[in-house]
Amino acid sequence: MAIIEDIRAKAKELLESEKVRAVLGYRRSTAGILAEPAFIASPADVDELVIDATCVENLALYLVNEKKRQKGEREPDTRPLAIVAKGCDARSVAVLLQENYISRDEVVILGVSCGNSGVIDERKLNKALRGKQAKAADFDDAGNCKVTLMDGETSVPAADVMADRCLECEVAFPQVSDFFYGEKVTERDFSQRFTAVTAFAEKAAEERSEFWAHQFDRCIRCYACRAVCPMCYCDECVVDSTNFVVDATTTADDKANRICWINRSACTSENAMYHMVRAIHLAGRCTDCGECERVCPVNIPLRLLNTMLEHEALEAFEYKAGYDPEQPSLISSFRDEDPNDFIR
Amino acid sequence: METILRKDRLGEWAAKLGEQAQVFAPAFADEIWNFAPLEQGTEIAFEGINTVRSAKEFVFPQREVLYRFQLSKGQQPEITQTLPADGAKVVFGVRPCDGRAMVRNDKVFTCAPCDPYFQTRRDQVVFIGLACATPPSPNCFCLSVGGSPSSEDGLDILMTELGDRYHLKVITAKGGEIIDRTAEFFEKATEADSSEVEKAHTAAREYPQRTLASMEKVAEGIKRNFESPQWEELARACLGCGACTYLCPSCHCFDISDEITRQSPVAGERVRTWDNCQFPDFTMHTSGHNPRETTGTRLRQRVAHKLLYFVENHNMQQCTGCGRCITHCPVGIDIVKVANIMEEGAGA
Amino acid sequence: MSGNLYLPTMARITAIRQESVGARAIKTFQVEFPNGDGFDHDCGQCAMLSVFGKGESMISIASAPMIKEYKQFSIMRTGRVTTAIHDMKVGDLIGVRGPYGNTFPLNEWKGRNLVFIGGGVGLAPIWPVIQTAIANSDDFGKITVFYGSRTSSDLMYRDELEAMRGAADVNLSVDVAEDGWEGYTGFVPSNLMDKPQSPENTIAITCGPPIMIKFVIQNLKEMGFTDEQIYTTIENKMKCGVGKCGRCNVGKDYVCVSGPVYSWAQLKDLPQEY
Repeated sequence: MAIIEDIRAKAKELLESEKVRAVLGYRRSTAGILAEPAFIASPADVDELVIDATCVENLALYLVNEKKRQKGEREPDTRPLAIVAKGCDARSVAVLLQENYISRDEVVILGVSCGNSGVIDERKLNKALRGKQAKAADFDDAGNCKVTLMDGETSVPAADVMADRCLECEVAFPQVSDFFYGEKVTERDFSQRFTAVTAFAEKAAEERSEFWAHQFDRCIRCYACRAVCPMCYCDECVVDSTNFVVDATTTADDKANRICWINRSACTSENAMYHMVRAIHLAGRCTDCGECERVCPVNIPLRLLNTMLEHEALEAFEYKAGYDPEQPSLISSFRDEDPNDFIR
Repeated sequence: METILRKDRLGEWAAKLGEQAQVFAPAFADEIWNFAPLEQGTEIAFEGINTVRSAKEFVFPQREVLYRFQLSKGQQPEITQTLPADGAKVVFGVRPCDGRAMVRNDKVFTCAPCDPYFQTRRDQVVFIGLACATPPSPNCFCLSVGGSPSSEDGLDILMTELGDRYHLKVITAKGGEIIDRTAEFFEKATEADSSEVEKAHTAAREYPQRTLASMEKVAEGIKRNFESPQWEELARACLGCGACTYLCPSCHCFDISDEITRQSPVAGERVRTWDNCQFPDFTMHTSGHNPRETTGTRLRQRVAHKLLYFVENHNMQQCTGCGRCITHCPVGIDIVKVANIMEEGAGA
Repeated sequence: MSGNLYLPTMARITAIRQESVGARAIKTFQVEFPNGDGFDHDCGQCAMLSVFGKGESMISIASAPMIKEYKQFSIMRTGRVTTAIHDMKVGDLIGVRGPYGNTFPLNEWKGRNLVFIGGGVGLAPIWPVIQTAIANSDDFGKITVFYGSRTSSDLMYRDELEAMRGAADVNLSVDVAEDGWEGYTGFVPSNLMDKPQSPENTIAITCGPPIMIKFVIQNLKEMGFTDEQIYTTIENKMKCGVGKCGRCNVGKDYVCVSGPVYSWAQLKDLPQEY
């Protein structure tokens, strides 16, 4: 990973010159080995920033959340936010720019290259450690994951504990950034993009159907997957009945006639609707940051569902989300050569 | 009553219990540990790790149908009460923190007026606890909240592992009943066994855990720092999802809603589903006024409810130190860290 | 089915009166229990009204406890359940379960003067207290009522309030000037300030929009009322009504059980999360 001192220096410079209102980065957490989001607003705090293989979160989410938080303020601070972004995170930032949720001058991107490496998957690490508890972990340059345990140290092959999305990643470094840290590695030893999704699609329809029925049965509808997704920024969500915007203009009829698309019950039918509608709304927008799958408390393999739509966008329209902020969003644009055999 | 079960007879005993009840045990499936129905012929495996979902689900499921209604023109609506009819259950591998949480759930649901749905399930389930030899999670803190790796509260039987056998202590009449019914599996516990158990329990308490200040100090700290701007800072990354509350063994908030199965005339079910004080709209009035609009006020509500309000009402903390909320929070929000900051002084 | 705290009893709507029309329409419903399975209640308590297929709504019981024949609810149309209730006709059945919540300590107020300050639909929760006090006026001192609404056509219980003059000092107001209006023009707290009340041996009871309550309490304190002499009834989102679902939790209280009636002395110690 990149050099942390350079990132801290840049953060300090941006904060001291008051060019940004805060730096969104990563810092150590008391909750576990993974880094947690840090909102650094003072130059004195930049030493909290870290960058390593435990920096798994997609901080683009907070570009959305901080914007929403500002809506309640009388005199919001309109300076841009700086964000420490990995290659995958920068794709999400690009989609937010593509969709005009934020404008280019509202964000300063401190791009970080993952080099020939990626981030740690905590579940994989726990499995590899077989019951031993890790206090800290990081990848070295020789393909190892070095782990500090409660009582000693150990090492496991990095590829065994690297996040699946990293193993299929083709964007080792941010395609859009204002400042860049690390090397622009283009050749990686990892598997092809969409390996898991295409392998799954080859299974018989009945097998896939049973698989998803089982997974939807397990969902407890905590909405963590939706809450962590930077692309799920709708204030009101068709399949999330816990969000409803009521302001001075909302009438009794608006509230009375609000359509209840799915019930609160976490039964298979409702959960299936929830996940499938959310997946479809991510078509051409999902950038496979993998957060939905990571945060699911019951480990539903959501990447298999959501990246399927990313794959569809590529197959049907040669569209890749989040590589070029200038590119129009998939569902709000068309080309003359788009397939249209369904229009007669 | 104390008794001994040889480890190699555990599977048989569970199968015998299975003749009269649904038996559940921790199982590793879909890459996580969870309570699952014990399938015929499978071994019960107690690993060092706690289940992701808690034992509260056996008495407070995500979905509970309260009653069915059927309207017909010109007549009284037909209402059919739907008390739980799942039958008897036996659950293995319940950690003492989940057992203590059950005591807290009892206070909420069975104190007048008594909730018949909870009570029915509670009466029909036998919780066989498993004493922790080592902390099941790096985020365990049961010792700081009045608990221990071998606490008996809320459990019907407590199992302690002793090498090639299990020591079972009967705690309630319900627990005693299933032991008496299957007496052929057990040997009497000797004094040596009891003292070995004592040693094991004492050893377990020596393992380091995360720590909180005393119940009184934490409660007083939260109260004193109620208006601190630190709450917003600590909750800055909060997503407003339900991971912490849904996995918590003592969180009990719920919603009541109508689910229609037929439109004309109307028929359907009134159901109770889990709800959660971290959802943005939890406290929103119909006017749009929302008493807890920010993640800071909602985090404060959760921490205060667990460590202050419950103490004020019942003289015990509602949090039992299982650590699930810390481990599974997507962004690392940590109730131990928050409580310690509030107790120490929070800062202006 | 007895003993199940979530099951409503069916009551028949026997009278409906339109109090106000428009975007914030209010209707008053009287319901009777045809099978004699109703319940007694005390001033300040509420009931969950149930429309199958839509949901439930916690509404203050607006009739005085001494009335046994029916229960009265004044409901503003504001969402899914209340719209369904507004669409109902005389003769329709509605689910009712209750009574929930605590009560105004009317017995403790015997011998005292009572000042009622209500705004909009907030008159309904304190109406039972007013009615009971007037019916037992020998037990109480002077009874004063301040009540106001946006316009004169929004005023609730107009006839009853007019008929009350003499038994009580009734002061009505409308927020904005209106042709033919002879009462006070201005907000309810201003009307109160215009006719200052002596706190001597007096209890003030107020209910209305949160902003009105805030200024009323401010004004009462200026007049010398202590925190213990001021009572209000608050609302919060409620689902179960029995202190289990957590929706209405404020501090250590569940508003549906320890409230909704609070003295200002009690209320100011709770987190202001309602």
